[in-house]
Amino acid sequence: MLYLDGLSKSFPGTRALSDVDLDVRGGEIHALVGANGSGKSTLVKILAGVYRPDGGVIRVGDRVFGGGLSPSEARAVGLHFVHQDLAVFTDLSVADNIAIGRGFDTDPLGRIRWRSVRRHTSRVLDRFHIAARPDTPVGALRPSDRTMVAIARALQDQEGQDSGVLVLDEPTTSLPDADVGLLIAALRRFAEAGQSMLFISHDIDEALSFVDRVSVLRDGRKVATLDAPRADRDQVVELITGRPVGRLYPAPQRPDGGARLQVRNVSVGPVRDVSFDVLAGEIVGLAGLIGSGASEILQAIFRARPPRGGSVAVDGAALGDRPRDAIAAGVSYLPAERSRAGFFDAGVRENLSAPEVARYWKYLFMSMGRERADARATIARFGIRATSEEQNLALLSGGNQQKVMLARWLRRDPRVLLLDEPTQGVDVGARAEVYELIRAAADRGTAVLLVTVDFEEIAGLCDRALVINDGRVVAELHKPGIDHQRLTELALRRLEKGTTP
Amino acid sequence: MSAQPRRPGTEPDPDGPQATAGIPPAAPHEATAGILPAAPHEAAAGVPPASQRAGEGGMGRGVWARRQAGEHSASRALGVTERFGLVFLLVAEIVLFSVLPKTSSTFLTVQNFRTVAANQSVLSIAALASILPLTGGNFDLSVGAVALLSDIACAAATANFHAPLAAAIVVAIAIGAAIGLMNGVIVAKAGVIALITTLGTFYVIIGVLLWYTGGNAIVTGIPTALTNVNVQLWLGVPEIAVFMIISALVVWYLLAHTPWGRYLHAVGSNPVAARLVGIAIDRVVILSFVASGTFAAIAGVLELANSGSAFPNVNNASGLLLPALASAFLGATTIRPGRFNVLGTLVGVFFIAVAVQGLTLAGVADWVQYVLYGATLVAAVAISSIIRRQRAAGR
Repeated sequence: MLYLDGLSKSFPGTRALSDVDLDVRGGEIHALVGANGSGKSTLVKILAGVYRPDGGVIRVGDRVFGGGLSPSEARAVGLHFVHQDLAVFTDLSVADNIAIGRGFDTDPLGRIRWRSVRRHTSRVLDRFHIAARPDTPVGALRPSDRTMVAIARALQDQEGQDSGVLVLDEPTTSLPDADVGLLIAALRRFAEAGQSMLFISHDIDEALSFVDRVSVLRDGRKVATLDAPRADRDQVVELITGRPVGRLYPAPQRPDGGARLQVRNVSVGPVRDVSFDVLAGEIVGLAGLIGSGASEILQAIFRARPPRGGSVAVDGAALGDRPRDAIAAGVSYLPAERSRAGFFDAGVRENLSAPEVARYWKYLFMSMGRERADARATIARFGIRATSEEQNLALLSGGNQQKVMLARWLRRDPRVLLLDEPTQGVDVGARAEVYELIRAAADRGTAVLLVTVDFEEIAGLCDRALVINDGRVVAELHKPGIDHQRLTELALRRLEKGTTP
Repeated sequence: MSAQPRRPGTEPDPDGPQATAGIPPAAPHEATAGILPAAPHEAAAGVPPASQRAGEGGMGRGVWARRQAGEHSASRALGVTERFGLVFLLVAEIVLFSVLPKTSSTFLTVQNFRTVAANQSVLSIAALASILPLTGGNFDLSVGAVALLSDIACAAATANFHAPLAAAIVVAIAIGAAIGLMNGVIVAKAGVIALITTLGTFYVIIGVLLWYTGGNAIVTGIPTALTNVNVQLWLGVPEIAVFMIISALVVWYLLAHTPWGRYLHAVGSNPVAARLVGIAIDRVVILSFVASGTFAAIAGVLELANSGSAFPNVNNASGLLLPALASAFLGATTIRPGRFNVLGTLVGVFFIAVAVQGLTLAGVADWVQYVLYGATLVAAVAISSIIRRQRAAGR
């Protein structure tokens, strides 16, 4: 059905895909697995027409595309996509959701023919075995049925089920366990009816349990395609990480006393009952896949998101429950997505002093001179490249923006520094500088807690790494025993429910 | 629909080069061990060079610096044009009407300047009132209604209840502050968007005024001590304009020289980030409405001084609100482009006022001023947006 031959794609500085061959047969469910950044999403985006490949051929049925395809060509040849966030409108009815995918059926005056829309919806619901009525709001459906509606919307205009390929990008990540089974059963049923599917996942056990074949991507290369029923999960993990599966490290040793940051029994987002300490001068990395809840732990510590339970203490004193209290206790937080959550449409100076404006208010006036001098000193100390301290932050490069965000907190010598993806959108040269700033802060006694999906960064920067998997800390690695393959392996590992290693 | 007032040209273009920096393309997070300070010898051989996730892509830092230096003077010239463009135009207007044969005899007179200054004082203060919530990202549509309320409250207190003038003024201003407090609490605590809250307040106030006055104007019994403000001069300046200058200084002080003013800018620029740097958003927003209500009430008292009578008419409220908002937005394109600012707001008010006065003296028909008002507003904001986008693209 779908053949990829020698597909390659580079971004400045990285080879995202090199020479990938893949074929999905008619009526087959083909899993594509790999670690964070192995090239899975690049491949999906090429199929969807978002990116053009640098080289290679895509063949769908009997249509051959040499230089990639456009989004409308992808649709025309029967490549259909259902993404992790389903893009269904929960407030609208099933009929509306399904009609939005193909356009409403209207009469010559432009009025919607509701009867025909409802009839069409009923047919689609029957065909895909969805237990819902056309008028039901999608938000009222159970999670697996919402996914089914998204699938039905994608496939509704396909004639039979033996043409085209359905691409499912991590469809089970956000589903409760019970619903995963329902969805898998439905997918199997489609496959029996002849539907070809490409199933993108990082959950190896789940994928191996029901797909026909599995292909493994590592560092942008396809390293193997295996028959799923005969594949061994350890073998697949080995292929993903590129090294033999090792044993879990021995049980974590609790550092005795002197903890700067104490996190006790915190539950937030998908994370349940997590406890750990960070010592003064220590850099600790939280390693988890996207959606593991590691970022939410940082938000809970900073009080930017109320935890469901648990407590946080800094130097033995419990934290209040607003970000302001956390700041007062010496906690600093660098959010991911700095343009959304970090910076103001203002110059470097104002961005730097945002958390401590009141410090510059003397004798009823803002002492601009002192603020400016401090800003200049900070710019020099942290190596920020800006034309002046008044230059608008939006005009700086990504790396310099991030240095400003870091400097905002670091110049206060925080007791605890929480970092979420600190090198996101930072170029290589500036990254090294960011790492140096973080290390220097730790050397001055700051307890640093880092979250990133770049496990290589954790391996390189952190003194200790905690692996988050299935909502808990499942492993603790100490320098020099931290390496990114091991972290990937631990973060991917499917755990027996209810046990802790 | 977003109720955030759009600051002219300041929104970082979501597709612009700077915005993409935060979003890594599908570019994988890979292979960075070589540049981590703490792990110098893990430099991975054979791994592709560490990913450059940023939008700046492969551009080396050298090229970067050169580009920045090269465009520096050009962008500075653009910057001056942008900052003082409207001021130049205001000066040009004055020169034009001073030499134009039809207007030169009447325009360039002290009396004419006094008239313009006095006539624009109420509008100026209302516009200054509106920029306080606007700075925090909130519209205040009740400014005109609060001014009318305080106008009538002051008139009623003196004419109907024979209250001393000072007491009447205090009551009128306190009512304005209280309405502002109510607006602020509804916006900050109940989470109703400001556009809706203050639109509602506007109509409730008008309704209550019509009920209280029975639709009748208060024309007699206004103390002459108040109405004299309109005619008396202080150091050659109409007294009413002195109040405008004092109000401008106070609003400038609040916005530029208190931590509160800075917090307000931060909240208006990025509320998510403001919370994460520990700003008490609710308190900052509520205070902005209290301040707005207070200054709107001052504008109302001066309107009473100006006209000597108080008319409970919805047109008096909207007729003050719309030009006030227009001046605020016009002002945000000048002096400190992209920010609502005091001096810019005054330039905005007087740019229009001088044009209207000049054209009136030249005998041009009335309707022209409205066209001029609307066209200037859109043109100024458009030009400001284009300049900013060019500068962002050429960074």
